[in-house]
Order: sequence, then C-alpha cells, then structure tokens
Amino acid sequence: MDSRLVVARRELASLGREKTIVLALAIQLFVAAFSSFLVVGLVSLYAPGATAGAYVVTVGVAGNASGDLAPVVDAGGARTAIEYENPALARAAFEEGTVDAYVVAERAPSGRTHVDAVAPEGSFETTLVVTQLKDALTDYERQRRAELADRLDRQPLDLPPERGGNPYFGFTYTVLVPVLAFLPAFISGSIAADSVAEELDRGTFELLRVAPLSVADIVDGKALAFVAIAPAQAACWFAFLALNGTPLGHPVAVLGLVAAVSAVLVGAGIATALLAPKRREAQLVYSFGALAAFGAASLLPESPQNVVAKLAIGSPTTVTWLSVAGALALGVAGYAAARVAAARAGGA
Amino acid sequence: MSPRRTLRIARWEVTRGAGALDRRTAAVLAVVILSCAALAPALVASPPAPGEGVYRVSVAESSPYYAPVAADDQLRAVPPGSEAVAGGRAEVAVAGSAFRVADTEKGRAALADFRSAVAAYNDRRMALDDDPAAAFPVTVDLAYVERGTTPVADGTGGDTTTVADGGATTGMDTTSADATTSDTGRETTTDTAGAPATTLPDAGSGAGVRPTTPGGLSPPFPLESLVLAFAFLLPLNVVIQSYGSSVIDERIGRRGEPLLVSPASRGDIVAGKTLPYLCGAAAITAVIALGVGAGLSAVLAVLPLAGLFLGVTFLGALFARSYKELTFVTVAVSVGLTAYAFVPAVFTEVHPIAAISPLSVVVRDVRGDPVALGGFLLSTVPVGTAAAVCYALGTGVYREEDLFTQKRLPAKALDALAAPLSSVWRVGLWSALLIPFVLVAELFSVAVLFVVPGALAVPALLALVAVIEEGAKSLPAYAGFAGGRFERRDRIAVAVGVASGVGFFLGEKLLLLTRLVGLPDLTVGRAAFGSAELGVGSPALFLAPLALHVAAAVVAALGARRSWGWYAAGLSGAILLHVAYDYAVVVLLG
Repeated sequence: MDSRLVVARRELASLGREKTIVLALAIQLFVAAFSSFLVVGLVSLYAPGATAGAYVVTVGVAGNASGDLAPVVDAGGARTAIEYENPALARAAFEEGTVDAYVVAERAPSGRTHVDAVAPEGSFETTLVVTQLKDALTDYERQRRAELADRLDRQPLDLPPERGGNPYFGFTYTVLVPVLAFLPAFISGSIAADSVAEELDRGTFELLRVAPLSVADIVDGKALAFVAIAPAQAACWFAFLALNGTPLGHPVAVLGLVAAVSAVLVGAGIATALLAPKRREAQLVYSFGALAAFGAASLLPESPQNVVAKLAIGSPTTVTWLSVAGALALGVAGYAAARVAAARAGGA
Repeated sequence: MSPRRTLRIARWEVTRGAGALDRRTAAVLAVVILSCAALAPALVASPPAPGEGVYRVSVAESSPYYAPVAADDQLRAVPPGSEAVAGGRAEVAVAGSAFRVADTEKGRAALADFRSAVAAYNDRRMALDDDPAAAFPVTVDLAYVERGTTPVADGTGGDTTTVADGGATTGMDTTSADATTSDTGRETTTDTAGAPATTLPDAGSGAGVRPTTPGGLSPPFPLESLVLAFAFLLPLNVVIQSYGSSVIDERIGRRGEPLLVSPASRGDIVAGKTLPYLCGAAAITAVIALGVGAGLSAVLAVLPLAGLFLGVTFLGALFARSYKELTFVTVAVSVGLTAYAFVPAVFTEVHPIAAISPLSVVVRDVRGDPVALGGFLLSTVPVGTAAAVCYALGTGVYREEDLFTQKRLPAKALDALAAPLSSVWRVGLWSALLIPFVLVAELFSVAVLFVVPGALAVPALLALVAVIEEGAKSLPAYAGFAGGRFERRDRIAVAVGVASGVGFFLGEKLLLLTRLVGLPDLTVGRAAFGSAELGVGSPALFLAPLALHVAAAVVAALGARRSWGWYAAGLSGAILLHVAYDYAVVVLLG
C-alpha cells in the first residue's frame, strides 16, 4: 500500500480511537441546534409573521382619526381593534388588560395624523405587539398617502403582493449553511497543526522519517486524512438538511469549495506547525492567520460565505462559479506551496 | 498555599511563554496580527453580507421597480425575459405593474424581501417631496408602559410623558430603555438597525419632539449592544487556546514533573499557572469595556465567565490525551459557553430569562440602563461557582498518577470526581458542589425551551430537569464505586445515596437565587425551579423534595454499586421517579 495512505489511515484511526471526531460532530450538532433555536427565537421575536394567527393583538383606538384608523387595524389577520370615545377610556382598558396596546390618533389641520402608541413594557408580548402596531400603522400610512396623493409631486410605487414568505428561509441558507460548511474546514486545519506539533513534540516525527518516508509523504498522508474529513462532515450536514426539507442547490460545488478551503487551511496548519513547533504558537498563528484570510476573502467581489449561500440557495452568478474555480486552484496551489515549504523545512 | 510561590510560578509562566517564542515565530505572529488589525477598518467599512444577491428579480432597467431592486442587498436584478421565472432564471419577474412569482419557498421569500425593498424605496422617495405632511401623513410616538402603574401627576419628573392633545391622559410613566431618547422627554423609538431615512428631518408637529413614521418603529431589540457584548467573548477564545496548550504541555513528555516534586503545593502550581491568563483576560476585558463604553459592572460580570472559560479548559487540558483532542475540547468549550452567554442575552429587552447571562449585564451597561443587584447575582454567581468547582476538581487530579496516564476522557473525568471522595459524606458535598452546573444547565434549558409552546415545553423541561439533576447527583456516587473509593456493598450504596440526596437538597437552596429576578413567574421557570420554591408553608412540603432526592439517589447508587449497565438502569429508575414526582407536584398541585 502507498505509504501516504498508511499515514492517512493512521491519522484517521487515531481520531477514531480518541473518539474526537464524535466530539467534532457533537460540536456541529450543537451549532446547528443553536442556530435553529436562534432562528425560531429571533424570528418569532423580531419578525413575528411566523406566529401570525396564533396570537391576536387587541388594539384600543381613540382620538379624532380613530374612525379612519380602526378599520385598518382590524384588517390585519393577527389584530383586532376596539374603538374608544376618548383616550382615558383606552388607557383604562389597557390597564385592565382588555386591550394589549392602545393608540391615540389625532388629525391635524395639515392633514397629518399624529399617533401616540402605547405598548406594554418588558414582556415577551412587547415585541409582538410593536410589530403588529408597526404593520397596522404602515398600512394606514399607505392609505393616507393615497388619499393625499394629489398633493404629492412624486407618487409612491405600488407594493408587490404579499404571499407570506417563510422568514426562516433566508437565514438557513445565508448563515447556517456557510457555518456548517466552513467550521469543519477550520477545525481540520487546526487539528492538522496539532497533529504535526504533537509528532514534533513527542519526537515521533523523527521516527516516522527514519521509516522510509519523506517529509512530503508524511505531509501528504496527514493532509489526505484531514482534507477528506471536512467535506465528509459537510456532506453529512447537507444530507441531514435535505431530509429536513432544506435541499441545497449545488451540493457538489459547495463540497468542492469546502474541500478547497480545507486544503488551504490544512496546508497552512501543517506549515505553521513545522515553522513554529510549539503547539501554542502554532495554534495562535494558525487561528489569527485563518481569521485574517477569511477577513481578506470577505473583501472579494463575492465573499466565501456569499458564494456558499448563492450556491446553496441556487442563484449562482458567473462570479460565483469563477470563485469556486479560483478556490479550487488556490487549494491546489496553496497545498503544493505548503508541501514544498514543509519538505524544505523538514529536510533542513 | 503560599502567595510567594504562586507569584513565582506565575512569573515563570509568563517568561516561559514569552521566552519560548523564537524570533521567526514572533515575526510571523506579529505580521499575522498586524494584517488582522489592518483588515478590521476595511471590514467595518464594507461588512461581509452573506445574503448578498441571493434572490433574483427579473426587471427591465426602464421599469420603476429597477431602483428598489438595485438598492437592496439581497436582491439582484436580472435581465427581463418572457420565461425568466418559468426558466428558473429569477424568483420574481416584474412586467409593467404585474408580478410573477415562482411557486416555491424561495419565490415567496424573495417576494417578501422585494416587498420590503419597495416600501423602503417609497420612504426614501417621499423624503424628497416638498409636502412632508402628505408624504408622511402619519407620525408616531411609541411609549412602553408597565401595566398597573398608577398615572403620575404631570411634571413630577423627566420620566413622565404627555400624550399630545389627548388632555385626559397625562403623565404616563415611561420606564422603557431607550436611553437615546431621554432628552426629548418623550419615548420616541429610535431604531438601532432600521433605516434612518424614515426619521423625519423636520416634522413640525411640536417643538423639540421628533416623532417617527410608522416605518421607523422597531421592536425593542438590543442589536448594537449585543454586537458590542460579543466583543467581550472573542478574546477569551484566544486566551483559552494559549492556556490549554500550557496546561497540556506540563503533561506531554512528563515535563511538569519537576514542578510537582518542588515544595510548591498543587494549589500553588495551579493558581500560579492560571493567574497570568486570568489577569490577561481581565486586562483585555477592561480595555474592551473602555472601548465600547461599558463600565465596571460589565467587567465584573465578564470576569466569572472568563473564569469558567479557563476552568473548563483547565479540566479539558488535564483530560485530553493529545493536542488534537484538546483542540476539540477548546472548540466545544467556546461554542458551548458562547451559546450560554449569548443566546439569553438576545432577550435582554423583552424577557427576564436574559438575566441568566452575564452578557445581559454588559448589554444593560452599554445601553446605560441600571443593573439590578438580583440580576447581577443570578448571572454571575452560578458561573463563578462553576468555575471554582472546575478548579477544585482539576486540582484534585493534578498529581503524578493522573497527569501522566493516558485514559479516555470520560474515564479521566470519573477519576477527577472520585479523587476527593475520601469518605461517604463527601459524596454529599460533591453533589452539592455540582449544583452550579445543574443551575447553569437548567437555566440554559429554560432559555432554549421558552420559545416552545407552553403545553410542550413544560413536560420536556420536567424530563430534562430530571435527567440533569439525577445525573449530577449520581455521578459522584458512580465515580466513587468505579474508582474503588467505596466497597461495593448495598449498605454502603444506601449510605452514599442518602449523603448524595441530602447534599443535593441543601445545595438546591441555591436555586432560590432565581427568585430574585422573578424567573418563577414564567410557566417554564416555574416548572424548572418549582420544587425549590415549595416548602415555605408546611413541613410536609418542605420534606417532600428531600425525600425525593434521597430516594432517587439511593436507587441510582444501588445501580452504580454493580456495574456501568446497572448504573444506567438505576439512573433511569431515578429519573422516572423524579419525573413522576415533578409531574405530581407541578402539574397536579401547581
């Protein structure tokens, strides 16, 4: 068997024996669970279209424009309006809990309506109530604008229709998928650095070299193992996501990108470990280096996260494909450079 | 412990860390850090937008809808064509004033985004109009009012607000948190994340008051403060990276052995090795606090969290068999603790659950809100004591026979738990000492489950609480038997179980902390912490939880006496017992 494969198998076996790969998957599971929790939690707080219908906000309406405003408030599916003769009654109803919020709408001679809105303070409802108030008042603003249209020199555009898009949709593809794609690559680079640093520290690197293995062979074997596991983990995730009804647009391209990024990071990790044989320094240089590389890549016309998001959601551009090709080329070149550097450093 | 020795070891740790850095590595590290610093302004100027251009809208350049599409980040204009949507080249197609939308999830999401882009575009367009009253015919002032507060007479202080023209309702007590608007004396929502274009330049509806348009309303969400609070967590990851390496270095190649034979005690060594990193974390935290405009309370809140980051890393580095394993451990520590600190803090403005996270103190501090003592204690005491317990466990195994053996991570953890169990009653002590972890885990479960509907959340939480509590109670017992600290006899198992149950019961009184912030007012919070609350009235209710803890612990300990399989069975029995009891108390009586 090729000696490089032997080294790769040895690395994978050590990962398996230490069960560390299980821990890696557990970390990713946690990240995924935590993101989906964040999705549900944040979205239901911040854009609670998701809870529409489950919870109806009752709004008290008072003031001289209430006859105008109340029907608009009532028109939304998740809110009902109760009209009050004067603001004091509305406030009393709010205090009693008959209404969740109240608004006092007064029309000025200029035609402008001023609304004083009151929402309950400091509870889970607050966000929901404010969002519903905002929706209602935006609708009302649009209606009033149309009524006063003859006073405007430019007309607002008609809004596209509403069809209840799922607010989780964008988040999954633009945040969760990129995280699940790049986290394994980052960890792979980190453990590649560890693996070499440990061999150097324990003196086993010398032993490996006494065996008929060149430094390049060792680097190849280790890299093979660590580059292979990142896309494998990502593939598991994507299959899992697809089962959950979130299919990926171009899975092969995304995995190719993950492999390319892992090749760069693993090469960098191994090179760093050979350069700075103490684990602490190697890890510091690697972490900051990877951070800087991701930061620099974010300034490209399409950042790596954006490339993954576009591929995953299925709207790639020419630039996206060029980025993938560029990443693959960079992966090969970066790894080759690391290998040459390793051979030179190890041979010296 | 001798302070002199501790300081000497600390000094040695610092000089060794700095001295071992050879010139080439130092140069590379400097270059890398400098390039990170150089990139930062560029990234702030054009922050990465992962969602850029993910939705395609087919629209002609001559169409009035072209401008809103071009201005929106997530939308991308593609050339029009008859079959753009059907051919899969776009999600939404604009033809004149008609819209064609792909009948997919993506199509609907794209349409929703398109709709809000057009609304934002309309607002920007209207801002240029000569007749502001017609362009923005509605202005809003939003006030947050606590229910049940009696109206305050007008003019008693700056925190009262008068509803315009609504003569009858004067003087509402606005206690909300938008510090930025306090100068107007009126609670105008200035949003942190929204479009500034929707704030009127000069509304002219009242002197000194700047109302917003409906588009400018935003639910209370402390986005900016959260981002600032997150800045406190990032450097901790670098610190634990370094710290973990230093601890594991003592073990690789038995390098730490000379230290152990020196007159310095284990406590001296551990404290000395940790001190520089804790001081470093404190210094970085203080610098960040200065930078983001937070004060002393933010630093004091982050320090216990830094301690926990270090404490768990310390344990991880003692247990890990190799550098690779340590990397996984440190990543797990970062992810787990970051989630624990960050997720609840998201709800700082809307929910008392946020008080469990030290970051909520930071968020409040950054926003200039008062930090209540109860909230401060709840967010820092469990985290701080958990850190202390980590160190107590780690110091217990900081000795030759444990440092230099290669065992699996769980086995090492059991050794660490078994080490301090010199007598049966100590099992009770350790059950009690594990309470901070129980508290942290339970609080986190509450935080995660509170978005789930109540009917589902309460049973799920009862089960989780039972698993967490019974696990924590029985682990020292199992470790004691597995580590050969106790004879494997039924009589001893019962004694161990009683000790563990009593210890846990006494420790559980710590949970009364949750009372200080009103957590039990929540349905979910009541389910988790109800059992600690009971017992104020009758002695029977006081003793019932004690009986439960003892009985369940004895069941688990009897299993732990035999083998791993029996332990699993005993633990399951204990969990079932616990769930049944909780169900009876919380659901039937409560």
